[in-house]
Amino acid sequence: MQIKILKPGILSTIQDLGRMDFLSQAVPTSGAMDTLSARIANKAVGNPDDFAVIEFTYAAAELETLTDVLVAYAGDGAILSINGNNLPSERPLFIPKGNTIKLKNNPDGARTYLSIVGGWAAKTVMGSKSTYLTAGFGGHYGRSLIAGDVLSNDPITSQLSKTMIKKLKSDTPKFLNWSIPKTLLLSSNRKVIRVFPGREFSKFNGLSITNFFSSTFKIAVNSNRMGFHLEGNLMLQRKKEELLSTAVAPGTIQVTGSGNLILLMADCQTTGGYPRIAQVAAVDLTLCAQLKPGDSLQFEDISTEDAEILYLEREKELNKLTTAISSRF
Amino acid sequence: MNEITQLVVDQIGFEVYQLSESALTLEFGNKIDVEISRTISNLNQAIQAQPFIGYRTTVQAYCTLTVFYDPILVLTSKLNGNNCVEKIVGYLKLLSTKITSTTKLITTTITIPVCYGGDFGPDLEEMATLNQLTTNEFIALHSAAKYKVYMIGFVPGFAYLGGLNEKLFSPRKAQPRSTIVSGSVGIAGRQTGIYPLNTPGGWQIIGRTPNKLFDSKCIQPSLLKAGDSVIFKPITIDDFNSYPKHSDAD
Repeated sequence: MQIKILKPGILSTIQDLGRMDFLSQAVPTSGAMDTLSARIANKAVGNPDDFAVIEFTYAAAELETLTDVLVAYAGDGAILSINGNNLPSERPLFIPKGNTIKLKNNPDGARTYLSIVGGWAAKTVMGSKSTYLTAGFGGHYGRSLIAGDVLSNDPITSQLSKTMIKKLKSDTPKFLNWSIPKTLLLSSNRKVIRVFPGREFSKFNGLSITNFFSSTFKIAVNSNRMGFHLEGNLMLQRKKEELLSTAVAPGTIQVTGSGNLILLMADCQTTGGYPRIAQVAAVDLTLCAQLKPGDSLQFEDISTEDAEILYLEREKELNKLTTAISSRF
Repeated sequence: MNEITQLVVDQIGFEVYQLSESALTLEFGNKIDVEISRTISNLNQAIQAQPFIGYRTTVQAYCTLTVFYDPILVLTSKLNGNNCVEKIVGYLKLLSTKITSTTKLITTTITIPVCYGGDFGPDLEEMATLNQLTTNEFIALHSAAKYKVYMIGFVPGFAYLGGLNEKLFSPRKAQPRSTIVSGSVGIAGRQTGIYPLNTPGGWQIIGRTPNKLFDSKCIQPSLLKAGDSVIFKPITIDDFNSYPKHSDAD
């Protein structure tokens, strides 16, 4: 199966669930910013969760099917369409050869993930197909996609994927009348982000902590896959102390020397020297990935134990989904 | 609040806190110290030699060791405890009793050839003058020390080295350069280091190595790792040119 990129959009890269095993050498995790959507796009075509997907940022991308394809998409940055007809998300889509798929603006979010049966083919670098642009490795030749790129899938080994192709094969775009209920996995208010206290939380003064949990913050324009700058009340330490650099992770909220917040995302450095006021619960980091510059968010305090429980519940639900999808075919 | 657990290894106490749902950090105070770093390296090697079920990787820093894991695998493992933290802390307690200051630590010494000055080290003369040294004296002092890799961070393969002679301390550049070529050797404050990739940077550049500090195609992509020792060896421009050329791109 093959597609050709006609328009790449703002930033389109190949990502999987990240590169965990080389953090000690300062190689960032990378991977999909919204891992939940990437996993759902994969599940929807019968792939394992960690197969490579295309991460589109906002809309404006266009691609052409050079062969018949079985794909799926999830995420809130765009709505896929063919000849003006919207394609539904979170379910397998059979698109015959010669169709142009356009990504239309979706005001709900920022990033959209496109999976294909077998996963998008790319060289595995250090255990992952994720693109890391700063060092120019992973994904499609270590770079973001450009017009004219032709992408293929890896061989299809999943029996479920093969069954889906058989059932949906048609001369016109075809899909079933059901979808993966992704919204059931998310909290109802997507602008409230749950966090637990970071290591240096208690170094901040009372007013700062009160403001941290009661005021809103705005995503600044200079936000990217490395991290989001947040505009809002300044966080001040009771006593200024120099910290030595130590490990940080996606979801870590650092406070700069001037008191501004930086929320670290997928491509963040592995170590940092700024005090860490909080850590975003892993289950809500996927919500952050859908925020755009100008969007507001609020933080809600939870315990580390609750964050772990939420994580485990999410994983359990995702496992159930895999079984549920198989039973449909 | 974060629950803080206190433990002792090699007679050095440390605290454990949760970084994320899939990482714990062991913190050994807040100062740069050779002995502390040695203890951390020791513990790091012990964990890697006898990893627990669900272990992913570690990140060593000046006075912390962060352990990354798969929460599902840890929770379903037979370790004692009701959650990931309890289980891993239990494992660390047992492991730490087996480590003493006599535990043999494996250290590697890596010699890095450097062509100092000229186009490769545009700030050498200015930094030598600033420190009231000739360029030859500056080079001799820089290449006489044995440096310790305290941690790898900032960008892939970037080593934070300790052990710079105080006669060579140099301020950062007032105006950072937009591109520093990979392999450039620099000084900033009390630190010296090598740029593994073409990146912007504010360090004073005194030379360049023909060695590749980071190669995504290698089994160990970063030439240096925490705990290693580093020696710089001065080479001529002809020596430099005789090394195989490399590019950053894959």
